[in-house]
Amino acid sequence: MHEAHEKQLEELLAHPSVWRGRSRAALETFPTGFAALDAGLPGGGWPRHGLVEILTPQAGVGELYLLLPALAALSRLLPARWCTWVSPPHEPFAPALNAHGVALDRMLIVRTHLPLWAQEQALRSGACEVALAWLPRASPRAVRRLQLAAEQGRALGVLYRSQRFASEASPAMLRVLLEPTVVAGKQGARLRLLKSRGGSREPIDLTWADAAA
Amino acid sequence: MRHRARKSLFEPGDVSAAPSVLRVRPAPPPPTGPGSEDQAALELDPRELWIAAHVPQLSLLALSAGSSAPLVVLDDTRNPRIVDVDAAAQAAGIRPGMMLAAAFAVAPEIDARPRDVARELALMQRLAGIAAAFTPQVSIEPPDGLLLEIKPSIRLFGGLKELCRRLRDACLADAAFARSGSQPHFTLAPTALAALVAARAGARCFITDPRQLPARLKLLPVGVLRWPEEANARLLAMGVRTLGELLRLPRAGFARRFGPATLADLDRLLGRRADPRRRLARRERYVGRLDLDHEIEEHDRILEVLRPLLDELAQFLRKRQRGITALQCRFHHYRAAPTTCALRLAVPEADAARLQSLLRERLANLRFPEPVRRCELRSGALTDRPLASKSLWSAGERGHAPAFEMPALIEHLRARLGADAVYGLRGVPEHRPENAWRVAEPALAPVVSARSAGGPAGAAPFRRPPWLLHAPQELDSQRGRPFHGGALQLLAGPERIESGWWDGADVQRDYYVASDPRGARFWIYRDCVGSRKWFLHGIFG
Repeated sequence: MHEAHEKQLEELLAHPSVWRGRSRAALETFPTGFAALDAGLPGGGWPRHGLVEILTPQAGVGELYLLLPALAALSRLLPARWCTWVSPPHEPFAPALNAHGVALDRMLIVRTHLPLWAQEQALRSGACEVALAWLPRASPRAVRRLQLAAEQGRALGVLYRSQRFASEASPAMLRVLLEPTVVAGKQGARLRLLKSRGGSREPIDLTWADAAA
Repeated sequence: MRHRARKSLFEPGDVSAAPSVLRVRPAPPPPTGPGSEDQAALELDPRELWIAAHVPQLSLLALSAGSSAPLVVLDDTRNPRIVDVDAAAQAAGIRPGMMLAAAFAVAPEIDARPRDVARELALMQRLAGIAAAFTPQVSIEPPDGLLLEIKPSIRLFGGLKELCRRLRDACLADAAFARSGSQPHFTLAPTALAALVAARAGARCFITDPRQLPARLKLLPVGVLRWPEEANARLLAMGVRTLGELLRLPRAGFARRFGPATLADLDRLLGRRADPRRRLARRERYVGRLDLDHEIEEHDRILEVLRPLLDELAQFLRKRQRGITALQCRFHHYRAAPTTCALRLAVPEADAARLQSLLRERLANLRFPEPVRRCELRSGALTDRPLASKSLWSAGERGHAPAFEMPALIEHLRARLGADAVYGLRGVPEHRPENAWRVAEPALAPVVSARSAGGPAGAAPFRRPPWLLHAPQELDSQRGRPFHGGALQLLAGPERIESGWWDGADVQRDYYVASDPRGARFWIYRDCVGSRKWFLHGIFG
């Protein structure tokens, strides 16, 4: 009898929406393209759906390089869904994306003064595999809405925000702080998982594939 | 006797004279003669049945003169000829085909006017609109003929006789064709051209059996075929006046003298050659108006009162199994000019709820100068809407393709943000970075081909940054070294890009990869001509 209860409890705790402290909950993930990062992230990769926050000190420190392998993989999935870019700070450069294996015909750029609204529509629609958004500011309540929209639309939402918001609470399921580094003359980044469901607490060092020697 | 020895014009098998016969119908059995209308012939099922309507004196009808003077209608050439005359002018001795000067000599009091081609066409379109209630295959045969293929409609209207009666009643009931002498004349025949020539000749013709065609048409004059004047004159010189005499001519010799196109006409007349007609596309639009009891300003209330119109539109579209890609809303005010709001859709839509939700986004951007008194809904052209069943799974679930959601997202975003705010990317094989990509319409067609899952199609030989600035940004420089938040260290380069001398956007640049002290990497260039300034063009972000 006791064992049966134990078994039921195990099953209950294995449910993806139950998060137990440092335990690694079952999570649908896919590889990031960086072995070191895969080892550190809960579930061994980026979550398949949900909201990820990437905090950077400034633009151009490798925040796109971090996601390019993931974008390449997601844009080649079948059935095809959009990869949305909501109010990116510059133009995504098609030849570079192509060279990294990203399928251009799945890209959808949205230029708007309402990035929160557009991001929520993209995530909720179910038509997007991944939706990247550059948000100047977002309240925890707005981020919570995006998290729910991402779960509803089974999409991966990525928010690029400034490092200033690192101390704010956030309902995103994964928060990554990214700082540029130069290790032995190679450009890379040091990642800290500010919030994760059972991820590594040590900083993770990456170098970009095409970094100068 | 020599004629006997040759093959008759319409004996099958002799295709050498008939050039490029696309599709020769199986030849019906040879005509048994005009007298042998046996019962079997009536049971024979022709593939097509055409009704032709000819409006005699259409050009007179189009001018609809009120004057009492004899009216003659002229063609629009430099030396005007008379194309049609009314009864008074005919009594005065004027005939179609006369020169205008000759007509004035005969009767100086005539009222001569040029043809009104636009109004003639409008009249024929009006007739076509009436006929379209009976069959979708309606075509106008300019200037004064109308063709309907009615075979598939016979059962619906309760038999051939009943269909013809109702069609005639509907056409003659129309006020535009009530004038005596211009009432349309109807004929029925198994081929389009046969029906048409019989209608032009004003002959009684109600034939369902293709085998009867040669016998029934043989007395009609050659002129009803409306061949060029020159061909008619030559036929007359040969002593050929009627279709019967024409059909007796030897086939090969006829093709040699009059050309293959003329022979093809005769083949179409007897149904030996396919005669497809272009179907008249009806330009249908939905227009709905609603006068409001009270003046309304709130957007939500306006959406509410628009709902009945949208429902009506949806029903209009559902009945026709069509959709719209453009919708215009016009809101009338008391004093101010009407406010318009246009909706454009990526895929044809026919659902009232979806249209309403798109309108809600659109209205959110709209400011009314005054309260709204009247709403007007006007659809764009109707387009075919592929009908599909809904899927059990939602998009993304269990690998379900988001066929419906992908265009819907674009429409939803565009409805609020504008059409230019949402776009796709396309690479262009060009050396100049600003020309190496282009804004493209998002690829709506679901991609089914399995793309090669491996790496890039062709790895670029040079490094390109994932970010490109909208426009190159000039950098500070000190003693020839570029600065951007600190001294920049050049990591790679130079890569010379020199191109575009032919289109005026000439560039000569040396590109470098540079990094700032904090580790951010930039794509910068130095102009090789002129000031040799440094510019920031991309970011390895």
